[in-house]
Amino acid sequence: MTAANQPYSEPDPRGFWDDPAGALVRRTVTVDRTVSESFAKHLEPVAPAGLALLAVGGYGRRELFPFSDVDLLLLIEKQGVPERMRGAISAFLQSLWDAGLRVSHSVRTPVDCSALDEQNIELSISLLDQRFLAGDRGLHAKLDLAMARYLDRQGSALAGHLCRMVRDRHAKHGGSIYQLEPNIKEAPGGLRDYQLIAWLKKLRDARHNAPAREDDTPDLIPARDFLFGLRTYLHQRARRDSNTLTFELQDEIAELFATSPAVWMRRYYSSARGIAREALRAIETVDEQSSSLLVQFRDWRSRVSNTEFHVSRERVYFRAPQRLEHDPGMALRLFEFVGRHGMHLALETVRRLDQHSAALSHYFASPPAPLWPGFKAILATPHCALALNAMHETGALAALLPEWGPVECLVIRDFYHRYTVDEHTLRAIRILEDLRTPKDPGWKRVAGLYSEIDRLDLVMFALLFHDLGKSLKEGLAHVGASAELAASAMERLGMPEEDRRVVIALIEHHLALSSVMNSRDLEDPSTAPFIAAKVGTLEILKQLTVLTFADISAVNPSAMSPWRLEQLWRVYLLGYNELTRELESDRIHEGGVEKAGMEEFLEGFPVRYLRKHSAAEIEAHFQLEQRSRERGVAVDIHRENGFYALTLVARDRPALLSAIAGAMAGFGMNILRAEGFANRGGIILDTFVFEDPHHTLELNPTEVDRLRLTLERVTLGRLDVKELLRSRPAPAPPTKKARVAPAVSFDSRVSEVATLIEVVAEDRPGLLYALTSAIASTGANIDVVLIDTRAHKAIDVFYVTADGKKLSAAQQAEMKEKLLKACAP
Amino acid sequence: MKKIEAIIQPFKFDDVKEAMKAIGIDGMTVTEVRGHGRQKGHKEVYRGQEYEVDLLPKVKLEMVIPDARLDEVIGTLTRSARTGKIGDGKLFVYEVAEAVRIRNDDRGESAL
Repeated sequence: MTAANQPYSEPDPRGFWDDPAGALVRRTVTVDRTVSESFAKHLEPVAPAGLALLAVGGYGRRELFPFSDVDLLLLIEKQGVPERMRGAISAFLQSLWDAGLRVSHSVRTPVDCSALDEQNIELSISLLDQRFLAGDRGLHAKLDLAMARYLDRQGSALAGHLCRMVRDRHAKHGGSIYQLEPNIKEAPGGLRDYQLIAWLKKLRDARHNAPAREDDTPDLIPARDFLFGLRTYLHQRARRDSNTLTFELQDEIAELFATSPAVWMRRYYSSARGIAREALRAIETVDEQSSSLLVQFRDWRSRVSNTEFHVSRERVYFRAPQRLEHDPGMALRLFEFVGRHGMHLALETVRRLDQHSAALSHYFASPPAPLWPGFKAILATPHCALALNAMHETGALAALLPEWGPVECLVIRDFYHRYTVDEHTLRAIRILEDLRTPKDPGWKRVAGLYSEIDRLDLVMFALLFHDLGKSLKEGLAHVGASAELAASAMERLGMPEEDRRVVIALIEHHLALSSVMNSRDLEDPSTAPFIAAKVGTLEILKQLTVLTFADISAVNPSAMSPWRLEQLWRVYLLGYNELTRELESDRIHEGGVEKAGMEEFLEGFPVRYLRKHSAAEIEAHFQLEQRSRERGVAVDIHRENGFYALTLVARDRPALLSAIAGAMAGFGMNILRAEGFANRGGIILDTFVFEDPHHTLELNPTEVDRLRLTLERVTLGRLDVKELLRSRPAPAPPTKKARVAPAVSFDSRVSEVATLIEVVAEDRPGLLYALTSAIASTGANIDVVLIDTRAHKAIDVFYVTADGKKLSAAQQAEMKEKLLKACAP
Repeated sequence: MKKIEAIIQPFKFDDVKEAMKAIGIDGMTVTEVRGHGRQKGHKEVYRGQEYEVDLLPKVKLEMVIPDARLDEVIGTLTRSARTGKIGDGKLFVYEVAEAVRIRNDDRGESAL
């Protein structure tokens, strides 16, 4: 056995862990000797001048791993290898293979080496690490000179290419450091990223006019050495250039270090994180220098700065960082700023947060006021995923939510998950956000659903907590544990009761739709009622559908196959149709309610009513009903989550809904959502959520009383709504954008007694009045109504009867014509 | 050796997998597929619009087994995948000429 392949069999499997870089250098020296000796024997005699031997790539850097290729470059004076050299080169390479080295070689001239070949960027990169081994020193000096000129001229172009290659590589290798079985060379945070930092620095240093940059690279040597040791181990274990850290190898190495695989993997992630952060920063610096367009954009963006934060070079800075000490709440506003404008934190800002971490933790642990409004504002921003990621990276997320800490870098091994729990969660939130502008045409239907969801902040919160129980309980038991963690966090944050209920329902059922997809016959008639009973309301069904979509998609890049997506959609459809149907058919019969009169009040309302409203809300409705007895009507108006909520209880009469909707339109109010049902005693309960686009109520508080009074008078028929509307100015013509073609459809199968009418139309003030008037004008009666508005699109469901019966075909045709006419402004 | 190709209902997949594991058949290839046989598609209604669903989602299993176990495997598979309704699926049995384990060149039934 020759000296060169000795290091292929280290006797002690742990020996190199203590000084892995040293071990690599020692291997390099041994290989240098073998290569130089062989060069002296085979090549020097035939080419005393005009030929030089160079080490390139990892070998050039003196980082030669066992079983890695030994990269050599034979430098010749000019194109074409002379005949006399050919045989000698073959003999030279042959001798190296015989010595047990895996040689990879190329023959080039200094001119070849100093030209930018877009097809072969790797060559230019490998030359950054070139090192003279043997032969003609004069020729090598020529290469040095040519390279220096080349890099000065083309260095920034080369850096640009390099960064593009890195992005492709990252995308190909999972795009995250938090993978369960990472490739420690190619994945983000791997050795390639470490080299990238060094290459970009070399490229910058090689340019005369490169802008000076303070070198504040943190010490990455320990992280690098960790990966050096690991890669050496992997290569020796596989006896080839294999870099995937499989579960099997993780177990083995953890045992070697007398620890658990999960604990040991956290060491891996922390090394990878340090390297990945620096690599990203280096790439960003290149991007900034290379794009003049970006510079303009950046200047434009700097206008988003406000009194607390300013933006420079696309990065967010504190204006007065010392204020963090006595106003730690500024940190939450900082992350809201990040989420609103989609910009990253400056390194300086991260450092400031770090300096004040004690004040922050103290503030989060005992805040002077509930933290929910501040956190809710972050969750509702358009770039919420970016903001949460920044919170995660700076440790603010774990400070705000101690429940988050235990899942950081947490590995839960199963066959499907590719990422750690924290990464899976943040990825799911990113995917949910991507639904806003879906890239994949297959996502369109789910994206449509996403746009119909109210309170995305609650879905985000549920997603953030859905798997946190994995730090406590294994398997399906994590669901309950996650819900418990969320419950205590929500109480601490001071979230309103009804918001908490939604989040808990979403977490508790976050696997419900997947489980239906996997284990229930979707053709079976019992499946739809099963889904409906499980989720309860249409709102929760929609929220759960997008949550399930994001959750499955974030398991691994191919988990949400088109096939799966279709299954999920079918489950949604079954639930949707069932919940729409039961609105009419499933009524409350026996309340089992103790309170006197309550049972009578509830009887005949759809089952949905009980699922949708909390006990407190039902009690308030009941009180309103008691109040209405005296005058035949009672109205409540109050502000809620930035909108107005209107509740009205009255005795039903023909065209009542139309009159109410007309009165609202008369005040210029825009109805966003509405529900209306009657109980068995003929008492109707209508609830509306509306906005006040002209701030009438806000600017004139007395108008709230006038609106209430008007509604009461309209309800009792003492005021003609047409009269009221005559004084309104005509609505503004609709804008061209976001046109929604009106659609009216009928279905008489879904209910025993009524016909379902569904209207989808472009929303406008007064639309509900126009539609309900159209229905009333045919003499039909509205039993149940459910109104929803999302981004200019109104989705209205009515259950209608004519003389207590379903609509005939002729009645439907007449109604359709009138409704379509009403949809047009 | 025989190759079994089975098209089953997606919601029966877990049951089939468990049943196969119970009789010691661990190796199988699973594909998410769409298709239809006698169970024709159907119409779905969403917001008043009708959608024709003509290709139904199914799961395709492929496994190669020793000749001697054929009846046992067919029996287990059909029992665990059956609901008794149209759409339960079908299975097909093929002759396999040879099997080779790539790692170590094992051949025939010892490669299964």
